Amino acid sequence: MLLLVTAHLVLAALLPTVSRWLGRWAFAVGAILPAVSLGWALTSLTEVLAGGTVDESVAWAPVLGLTFTLRLDILSLLMIFLVSGVGVLILCYCVYYFKPDAQSNSRTSALLVAFAGAMLGLVLADDLFTLYIFWELTTVCSFLLVGQDGNTKQQRRSSIQALLVTVLGGLSMLLGFVLLGEQAGTYRISEIVASPPAAGALTSTALVLILLGAFTKSAQVPFHTWLPGAMVAPTPVSAYLHAASMVKAGVYLVARLSPAFSDHTPWWPLIATLGIWTMLIGGYRALFERDLKTLLAYGTVSQLGFLMVLMGAGSHTVAMAGATMLIAHGLFKSTLFLVVGIIDHQAGTRNIDELSGIRRRFPVLTVIGAIGALSMAGIPPLFGFLGKEAAFEGFLESGTTGDLVVLVGLVLGSALTAAYSFRFLWGAFGTKPGVEDSSAPKPSLGLMVPAAVPAALTLLLGVVASLFNALATTYAEPYPAGDHPYYLALWHGFSLPLLLSAVVVASGVGLHLARDRVVRLGGWLPDFLQAQPGYERTVAGLDTVSYAVTGRFQAGSLPTYLAIILLTFVLVPGSAVLTGGSMPEELRLWDSAVQVPVAILVLTAAIAVTMAKRRMTAVILTGVVGYGIGAFFVLDGGPDLALAQFLVETLTLVAFVFVLRRLPSRFTQVESTRSPRWPKVAVSVAAGALVAVSALVFSGARQAPPEASEGFVEAAPEGAHANNVVNAILVDFRAFDTVGEISVLAVAATGVASLILATRRARRPSAAEETEGPRKSREVRK
Amino acid sequence: MTMLVALPILLPLLAAGLSLVLGRFATLQRLLGVVVFTANAVLAVVLLAEADKSGPVVLQLGGWDAPVGITLVADRLSALLMLISMVVMLAVLVYSIGQRITDYGRSTSSTAFHPMYLVLGAGVSMAYLTGDLFNLFVAFEIMLGASYVLITRRTTATRVRAGMTYTIVSLTSSLLFITMIALVYAATGTVNLADLSGKVEALPVGVQSAMALMMIVVFGIKSAMVPLHFWLPDSYPTAPAPVTAVFAGLLTKVGVYALIRTQTLVFDHGESWTLLLWFSVITMIIGALGAIAQNDLNRLLSFLLVSHIGYMLFGLALYDVTGLAGAILYVVHHITVQATLFLVSGLLTRHTGTVALRGMGGLAKLYPAIALLFAIPALNLAGIPPFSGFVAKLALLEAGAEVGTTMAYVATGAAVLTSFLTLYAMAKVWVFAFWGKSKPPHPDPDPTDELIIGTGSTSRTMVSATSALVVFGVLIAVFAGPLSEISTRAATDLLDGGPYRTAVLGEEAE
Repeated sequence: MLLLVTAHLVLAALLPTVSRWLGRWAFAVGAILPAVSLGWALTSLTEVLAGGTVDESVAWAPVLGLTFTLRLDILSLLMIFLVSGVGVLILCYCVYYFKPDAQSNSRTSALLVAFAGAMLGLVLADDLFTLYIFWELTTVCSFLLVGQDGNTKQQRRSSIQALLVTVLGGLSMLLGFVLLGEQAGTYRISEIVASPPAAGALTSTALVLILLGAFTKSAQVPFHTWLPGAMVAPTPVSAYLHAASMVKAGVYLVARLSPAFSDHTPWWPLIATLGIWTMLIGGYRALFERDLKTLLAYGTVSQLGFLMVLMGAGSHTVAMAGATMLIAHGLFKSTLFLVVGIIDHQAGTRNIDELSGIRRRFPVLTVIGAIGALSMAGIPPLFGFLGKEAAFEGFLESGTTGDLVVLVGLVLGSALTAAYSFRFLWGAFGTKPGVEDSSAPKPSLGLMVPAAVPAALTLLLGVVASLFNALATTYAEPYPAGDHPYYLALWHGFSLPLLLSAVVVASGVGLHLARDRVVRLGGWLPDFLQAQPGYERTVAGLDTVSYAVTGRFQAGSLPTYLAIILLTFVLVPGSAVLTGGSMPEELRLWDSAVQVPVAILVLTAAIAVTMAKRRMTAVILTGVVGYGIGAFFVLDGGPDLALAQFLVETLTLVAFVFVLRRLPSRFTQVESTRSPRWPKVAVSVAAGALVAVSALVFSGARQAPPEASEGFVEAAPEGAHANNVVNAILVDFRAFDTVGEISVLAVAATGVASLILATRRARRPSAAEETEGPRKSREVRK
Repeated sequence: MTMLVALPILLPLLAAGLSLVLGRFATLQRLLGVVVFTANAVLAVVLLAEADKSGPVVLQLGGWDAPVGITLVADRLSALLMLISMVVMLAVLVYSIGQRITDYGRSTSSTAFHPMYLVLGAGVSMAYLTGDLFNLFVAFEIMLGASYVLITRRTTATRVRAGMTYTIVSLTSSLLFITMIALVYAATGTVNLADLSGKVEALPVGVQSAMALMMIVVFGIKSAMVPLHFWLPDSYPTAPAPVTAVFAGLLTKVGVYALIRTQTLVFDHGESWTLLLWFSVITMIIGALGAIAQNDLNRLLSFLLVSHIGYMLFGLALYDVTGLAGAILYVVHHITVQATLFLVSGLLTRHTGTVALRGMGGLAKLYPAIALLFAIPALNLAGIPPFSGFVAKLALLEAGAEVGTTMAYVATGAAVLTSFLTLYAMAKVWVFAFWGKSKPPHPDPDPTDELIIGTGSTSRTMVSATSALVVFGVLIAVFAGPLSEISTRAATDLLDGGPYRTAVLGEEAE
């Protein structure tokens, strides 16, 4: 399994390089691997139907729970029919759909194959993180396929919206996975489903987060608008990603986890509410559209809501309905998209208002399209009818109020579905008064066959209803069946579901005919409740907040930055010093009286430096502070230290004097009159005071004798043969520090030289020099 | 074996001197740099293997046992980070050699660049390897000294001014650092980290936490933790691409390393640390918001750099094995990916002549190879699987869920949100720069300035060096298994601290 998935990705990586020779046949080469996958899935069919699974596992980073674990079971198998089965059809269709010499062919083919591989991995994953990895890969593929070259604003906006919405959901899902795995003690999906973690706030949070991922990926209200937007992608891409496979990932995830969580509190109510709402909104919006493809996209939104409800309900019959609808939708929606693609390809438009007379011109295409649309509307004997019947039956069975409410929603949604299906038929194939018949060349066989295959299957699986029965029953096995398990059949006798179906079709016809009046009703929804403006406002809001926050704090002013740093220093460690530290108990103010005048001198000089107007004054005052501190060393009995200090001060002073000769005598920076001085004074005083208090508190806190200092004094005479401890430290005990500091000096010297030389350095050649050639003109500079 | 610990510091330091002398022999100078960083990477591998097999490799310099002398220690963490750092430095060096040859020809040499770059490498190694707080200060001085020169080298007045922001903030942080060392010495009488860890326990709790918080502030400035980060987005983008790449990749992470080292070895927080979690949350969010607001590609990347420092703080603040292992993985990942992105940005600006995103367009069609080189690290940084950013982020999320306090959940949520915001910023770059209509390259605004070149020429060496780093980033993901294992062992070492102390102080210390 893993080999198959990897093979897809490797082939995708190779396609761009080999497509130079392959041209448009790159798509056909790409179709090989989905075909192999489909074949493999079919050979495993009997084993899976017998309840068996195929397992495979490869460790990646097991410490983090990252293991690629794949498992083929009935649900994965059903999804592979969509992923690989539809994948083969689409890739074959692409060969004839795209211009043979289009530059984008190599990219599109590679991305489609990569997507097919990622999607295969997604539906086979038996590990939460494995699933997530492939989940995000499909998002990235979708982003690039929707955006294409990003030439139009529409492409850029739609691809970004699809990316942002699904990644936000994906990330929240990842968080949900982490929480769920933490609760369950494993990231294996099969293990979690077998023994789900106990209900509780954390599990519920995890489930809501996971559902958020499923809802965004499967375009549930209010996140659904990215899906119609994604229709800027080429039609085969839309058919594959945004109808048949990728958008079903959310539905798939719900189906995968429902056996464990359908009775957890937030799971089913959330799914039922949003699912029904999505089914209604999507169906209703489809009635508005004049672009056939967008009409189908809203239809997909609506059907995804339907599927969500079926997959999340957690009862045997409804689950059977879910499996049936999953495949039925994949078949009829890919048929319809491919048909729209053909119409668009041949007639040059897919606008309802511009198309007319296609039925007369393309009778075969019309039959194919009609099978798809009628299956979508739920007309017998087509496959879609079986799924819808089973769904009605499933929600009638229990007879609880909740189920009946859901049933009402589904019937309403199905009526809308029937309505837009009829609208599609009329819009695509009908002859409209006052519209010129579309002129269109005959489509090639290469385009027709991929559209005809799913239509034929729709008919076959509907007429021979028992064909799919075993698959649906096996899928529904985790849910307890009643005494008389449901089975798929065209005829269950005169029953309530049949009556409901009749109602659905009748009202569908009515809605379609009364469309104009229905659509006019729609103006009542206030702007802020609509999803698309909501998305746009959110993104704009995010940008505004970013600008505001960044503009507010990133002021570009060094004094502000320094003030913030010092304030943080005062507030964060400072509060700990003040609350947790204690002053030494016996505090001598001075050791000898001489210290007092020296201290006063140092303090006065330090304060005076901040007020100095002339550079020279400031330098001298700083020197006074330095010499004063040297004096303290003398008074404390450290003549060696004092000597070092005096030397440093003197050298600095001398250096400064040389530099100052070249600079203006006064500080050039004019003190701003508007900004008051006191905040700076306050911050500096606070920082200084904190250091002073800390010095007292820290030295007072010492418990052990200063081991290192004693070590220095002890070892200096014998070990280092030095009587001056400072020297011994500098050149022996801690000579490594000295090496480092010498390097710093050398670096500083180089830096200064580099800055001075900057004015005299070699320049890059001008354009003229470059053409004349001689690079010698920029010889080694000194 | 123990002598090997000093080599990664001494080699580049000695080579720096030699490199200065070799100023006239351009090729020799270049060769020297490449050889030294290759040697350092090899040394790092040897040290990592040894540290992983038989514990920390310790060298008491000058034969003076701790705490009198200075101790160098290579344990799993320091050897691992040194390995990654040296590989990145090597790649950046090759890139900048390529750039130099493209712009000035093969025979011209640079007086300052190579020596300074080598000194920078010595400082980085020293910071990782030292077991001594004061020596760590010296290491920072060396790094900063070299970085001051590199950021203001061959420059214009505007850039010198921006460089001053960097220099003065760094000097302030050094001042606070040395003040803190004085206070630490006053309280404990030692600056040896292993020795400190024993002595600090005896101090009153208030002094302990004050000391820990001072280190947070000092190293927080270096690692650009919000709100101590403002200097970074104002100064990094003003340096040429390779310099920014190595600063962004390494310098802040050395700060993070110092945080991790001191807060685990010296202090024992016992449980997850709410205050640092708060810092991590605002760092992640404020940084990412800053990135979204940018039009300048390099500033955008700088803000993302700040933002992702938050992830490492998050892992550290959780203060358990999983969290620390996540933080270590994140450092490893981030050093590589951030440097790569700045190099790619360098390639881009050479073709477009601008760093303004709105001035670029249609690059995916013009330069598909560069588009790929950008896309991989961009997705990587945003934590999109299967790249290393995802692996490291996942480790952190798991750690957050494992700790399970309210604040840990808040930070976990913030981490996920930041990942989203990062992707948004990257998607913006992609849409503005790589999609849309192609625009003609902008003319070089100032030929004397190396920041924006816009000559439209990139050499094979530059592209290869960038590609090598991209591949290295992917390899980190491929070897996530062994890497996560060694990170977990390193994290266990950090929280235990015993083996480190024993290795430095000898048996009787325990």
